[in-house]
Amino acid sequence: MAAFVKFWGTRGSIPTPASWTRVYGGNTSCVEVRFEDTLFICDAGSGIRELGKNLLTRKPRPNPLHLMISHTHWDHIQGFPYFEPAYLKAVQINVYGQHARDNNAYRVLSGQMSSDYFPVSFKDLGASIVADYLNDGEKKIAGVQVRSFPVNHPGGCFGYSFEKDGRKIVYATDNELEIQAGDLFPDEANAGPLRRVPDELVLAAQEADLVILDAQCDEKDYATRKTWGHSSCFSATDLAIRAKAKNLALFHHDPESTDLAVDQKTEACRQRAARFGSDLKIFAAREGVELKF
Amino acid sequence: METDSRKSQLNAAMTANARMLRRMLRQERGMRRHSLEQIEGDGTSSQVVLNQDEMVMGRGADTQIRLASKRASREHAFLRLQGTDCLLVDNDSQNGVFLNGFKVHSAVLRDGDVIQVADSVFVYHED
Repeated sequence: MAAFVKFWGTRGSIPTPASWTRVYGGNTSCVEVRFEDTLFICDAGSGIRELGKNLLTRKPRPNPLHLMISHTHWDHIQGFPYFEPAYLKAVQINVYGQHARDNNAYRVLSGQMSSDYFPVSFKDLGASIVADYLNDGEKKIAGVQVRSFPVNHPGGCFGYSFEKDGRKIVYATDNELEIQAGDLFPDEANAGPLRRVPDELVLAAQEADLVILDAQCDEKDYATRKTWGHSSCFSATDLAIRAKAKNLALFHHDPESTDLAVDQKTEACRQRAARFGSDLKIFAAREGVELKF
Repeated sequence: METDSRKSQLNAAMTANARMLRRMLRQERGMRRHSLEQIEGDGTSSQVVLNQDEMVMGRGADTQIRLASKRASREHAFLRLQGTDCLLVDNDSQNGVFLNGFKVHSAVLRDGDVIQVADSVFVYHED
């Protein structure tokens, strides 16, 4: 059975509507991962608004919806108050914590709808919104094996993998792959060795059909943004190569990146993968694009 | 009681807004012109204006954008006008649809996109 992935928001940090972001989009993080009728929503950035409108047109309408929040920084939750299915009585939305006592995502989603910030309160939403949880980072949901794993971001953040019937999709945004001793950095000439990356991440992304990775910075940007919690696109490429993933989506584009800059970043990463003799296919995540695996 | 009245006012306002939005989209759609320019494959240099709600690309006789290649399925892909955008959808074809060199299932098209279907390559234009 096929897996579908659709990008509804690919921008990092803040929504960036502009003529120069028209191709890749200006909405913040939201990715739909679907196995048959089982629908996972990775993050509730501003892209979730369009997803919500689209869901209302689908027949049958997927229900319940499984919401996996990577972390609760604004750009990953700000779209939720505008998610139309949350206002409908017939809808159930499961918001997942990492373990039984973790209701952090649920708590922050509801907190951002207090009257200081938004006119409709969380308790007045029509949908049944359930604080659900993974069992210490793992759970089978409607036949899909879901695993979470910590990534490197100020305040903490989690990546997710989804597996069913031999298809594997990995979502790991807001992750800083730090430069290690022996790595060549900056490597603007693309001449250095394959970078070393954490073994746990290589394992999480191992042989995935698609890895969606934080690649907010190019080499030049990353030099001035160490410890901000985002990666150079070259480090993301090297992680995907080491994991022997089949496809890599460069994700969480910098709000200052023009469509042309994203194209240039993508081409540089393709050249890097080719230099290492990798079959990895690389593209820049783009709003409105759907992939099938 | 007061809450019910406020809710019904809100619903009425939302319905009016939705009606206005639909009207504006119809007007804007009328102004935007979508087209495909074939740059490789059979029929090179031909230009097709996408002026129907849905147009079919494929090898079949009754498709609007006909492809000669045997690598093309009969109904290979659809081009659908959606709001002011044009959506490309692979119809579960044998050989897939490529957007700027990457295989996709569907995509909202943007000016300058390069679409490959079987042996034919098109550039999408919107103006």
